[in-house]
Amino acid sequence: MSSAPRMEIGKIYMPFGEAVRIALEDIRRRFVRAAITTASVVLGVAFMDALLILAAIARVLGGEGAGVQAYQLWILFISLLVCVVGIMNSMLIAVAERTREIGTWKCLGALDKHVLLLFLIEALLIGVIGGLLGWVIGLLVAVIYGTQVGMSTVMSALSTSSVTIAGLEFLPTAISTFVLSIVLAVFLSLVASLYPAYRAAKLNPAEALRYEV
Amino acid sequence: MKYEYTVETEDLAKYYTMGPAIIKALDGIDLRVIRGEYLSIMGPSGSGKTTLFNMIGGLDRPTRGKVYIDEVDISKLDAYELAWLRCRKIGYIFQTFNLIPVLTALENVMLPMIFAGVPREQRVKKATELLERVGLGDRLHHKPGELSGGQQQRVAIARALANDPSIVLADEPTANLDLKTGLDIINLLRELNREKGVTVIVATHDLKMIDVSDRIVYLRDGKVERIETRREIAIEIEEE
Ligand SMILES: Nc1ncnc2c1ncn2[C@@H]1O[C@H](COP(=O)(O)OP(=O)(O)O)[C@@H](O)[C@H]1O
Ligand SMILES: [Mg+2]
Repeated sequence: MSSAPRMEIGKIYMPFGEAVRIALEDIRRRFVRAAITTASVVLGVAFMDALLILAAIARVLGGEGAGVQAYQLWILFISLLVCVVGIMNSMLIAVAERTREIGTWKCLGALDKHVLLLFLIEALLIGVIGGLLGWVIGLLVAVIYGTQVGMSTVMSALSTSSVTIAGLEFLPTAISTFVLSIVLAVFLSLVASLYPAYRAAKLNPAEALRYEV
Repeated sequence: MKYEYTVETEDLAKYYTMGPAIIKALDGIDLRVIRGEYLSIMGPSGSGKTTLFNMIGGLDRPTRGKVYIDEVDISKLDAYELAWLRCRKIGYIFQTFNLIPVLTALENVMLPMIFAGVPREQRVKKATELLERVGLGDRLHHKPGELSGGQQQRVAIARALANDPSIVLADEPTANLDLKTGLDIINLLRELNREKGVTVIVATHDLKMIDVSDRIVYLRDGKVERIETRREIAIEIEEE
């Protein structure tokens, strides 16, 4: 008597370096879509940086009491929320556009977690780029404002510490806003992309291949 | 004579529910595909060809019945094992080519080998050889968008063979190609079938496919209408 034959099931691989390379290539090739997604991040982060830097300038000028106001924090919160919704929307469209491609990935042996990984790496890269650009724009806004109050005031605001977040409180404003921008942008981008990436990963390959663009 | 079967289906059925209606896309298919065979699945649009491929290719689960690939009942495989089966045992070719648009021809062919854990140098070597074999030795670094339909389908064929699968499933591979290009693709599939001993199953309503097929399965409304082998076809033609 022979038992039912078993297949010698082996391992499935997806080297992290390859995943990063493919995600980068994706961003490069689908530049317009990636740029729209990134724009969401840039706007949110630039707004935050401008608020923080302007508050630091106000402190140099007027001393006590001048910081980021409560109502400004609310506006900031709302704008970051809008930013998250923007990224999520853009990512959901990207997933829809690529439904058939995801089906193909799965035919070639991709596991759900590989699809998830690809989308999250893309989100991470978009977060880093968006954070960087957002910081530059926020800084520019402050410098343009600085032409009215005097460059020396702006420079002293940027080179002294002002952000009161643990770990960043001793860093000059220019550096602390930079760190904050990158961390926040990556965080927002990842949070916003989690659901779209999960949807992509869970696609049934047969359904995905039937999908008409 | 004892045949070895790469694919066996037993009372295979797939029903879809669309609101109150039940669509019997497949309804009791019993099929045995001999190793190394070139099998054509003929049938009009909507007869269930793609659904049958999804079942054989481990892309979807049947409503009823069984599929055996190399004698293994694939309904018993979990998600990981199915992904491995798709990666190593089966090569897929589609009507719409389905290359990854951001990757070059070479990278597309290497992709299944990445999943299989083949080292980089070997990947490059094998993918280059395969692309040369399908006549694209001078297009290695072109992206799909820079290739014609026929060339894209050649890349897809090379990619399907990357991990030396037991079975190649081609779903209407010539439907988006002109007559001459379609014929070239059919002949290429036939040559590779002979050369590599890989079982090739082609869904089609392209009558050009009849000449190269070992057997033809006629599908209608989710059922096997009849099966013809090459000799019968030859006799039929003589009788006419
Ligand atoms: N996911 C699905 N949901 C509902 N109906 C489906 C689905 N997939 C296929 N069908 C139906 O099943 C039948 C067979 O389809 P298909 O296998 O695609 O045929 P073919 O490939 O021969 O054209 C058709 O009537 C089709 O509309
Ligand atoms: Mg079909």
